[in-house]
Amino acid sequence: MAEEKENFAYDPEVNYDEATLAQQKKIEQQIVTEQSLISERVDFSELEDEYAKDEVFQLKIKDLKSKYACMRKIRGDGNCFYRAFGFAYMEKLLSDPTEFKRFQAVARQSKDDLVALGFQQFTIEDFHDTFMEVIDKVEQNCSLEDLLQVFNDQVYSDYLVVYLRLLVSGYLQKEKDFFINFMEGGQSVKEFCNHEVEPMSKESDHIHIIALTSAIDVPVRIEYMDRGGDNVNAHDFPEGSSPKVTLIYRPGHYDILYTL
Amino acid sequence: MAGSALKRLMAEYKQLTLNPPEGIIAGPVDEENFFEWEALITGPDETYFEGGVFPASLTFPPDYPLSPPKMKFTCDIFHPNIYNDGKVCISILHAPGDDPMGYESSAERWSPVQSVEKILLSVVSMLAEPNDESAANVDAAKTWRDNRPKFAEIAERTVKQSLGLL
Repeated sequence: MAEEKENFAYDPEVNYDEATLAQQKKIEQQIVTEQSLISERVDFSELEDEYAKDEVFQLKIKDLKSKYACMRKIRGDGNCFYRAFGFAYMEKLLSDPTEFKRFQAVARQSKDDLVALGFQQFTIEDFHDTFMEVIDKVEQNCSLEDLLQVFNDQVYSDYLVVYLRLLVSGYLQKEKDFFINFMEGGQSVKEFCNHEVEPMSKESDHIHIIALTSAIDVPVRIEYMDRGGDNVNAHDFPEGSSPKVTLIYRPGHYDILYTL
Repeated sequence: MAGSALKRLMAEYKQLTLNPPEGIIAGPVDEENFFEWEALITGPDETYFEGGVFPASLTFPPDYPLSPPKMKFTCDIFHPNIYNDGKVCISILHAPGDDPMGYESSAERWSPVQSVEKILLSVVSMLAEPNDESAANVDAAKTWRDNRPKFAEIAERTVKQSLGLL
């Protein structure tokens, strides 16, 4: 720093105020991008920079680039699976009217199913209303920018996450005789839902993914970027399905992927 | 979306008025401000707090029910899970991430599908069965564990005080 100061020579051609402002703006923009709940589509260069010194991950990113065009980064707040899945699927629905009709009916019906499972109506209806509002926007053919804006509005976006969590909880409880086999330490399925599904910021594991994809019948592919091998490993939920949404998993975090 | 917390609180108030749980009264202090409630909780039968009527306040955050309210007894009450200043410390009042250690694994946690009613019912169970594993008032937890007759005596005084008999 000291050396830089000594060598500093005033250049009358440069507008320092403007330069400062530009730099400030750049920093502000960087913060906004870094902190947005869902980013614009970006290429894989950020990922490459992030793992610059990691040879294994560099190989995996290369593999990723051979299969995918770009990604959207999701804020890491414990809700990233739900937010990534929710946005990627709604984005898909904007260009798939047949799938949209099917999903709209499933979504409409889902509130009554939750009430039948014992959820109190007044605790779930605001979340369901918000969820249906976004589905209406898709029906009215809103722009992708509008959809992105909705998902980047903290409260709105969180309400959508809550509803997706409730769909997971509802499915696990409906199929509790099956899922009880996966509970640890004598926990009941209901307790698991109360501790690991319904509270915000609780991260998702395979069981949450299986439940969500089954609850609304939307298959998902997840590319696992972890320690094993030189390539990313794809896993489809359920196996053998044709995924509607593709996500990338790095330990503890999900983002959205777009095919070439 | 700005009004969603208010809408939910109004729905909860309506629900509690139409279907009040036994021994519990709760509602906004002033209908102009739905984010500050007061509650009266009756000590459950066949417990050390039987017959007492304990006033408490509930303060709701702007993003309720994404985040839980804070609850504080506004009377003196000597109990392992209540701080000296009256603040209630039970698992259902904690957002994930700030759960203090030591809750029983089966204890309810806060989520947006919990409610004021569920909180108050948990508080009633807490009065009936203190949890000395996660003590907010260490002194009360020790007395509860090591000197039950003394705990009973203090509780009885608290009950009488709450009824204006002392």
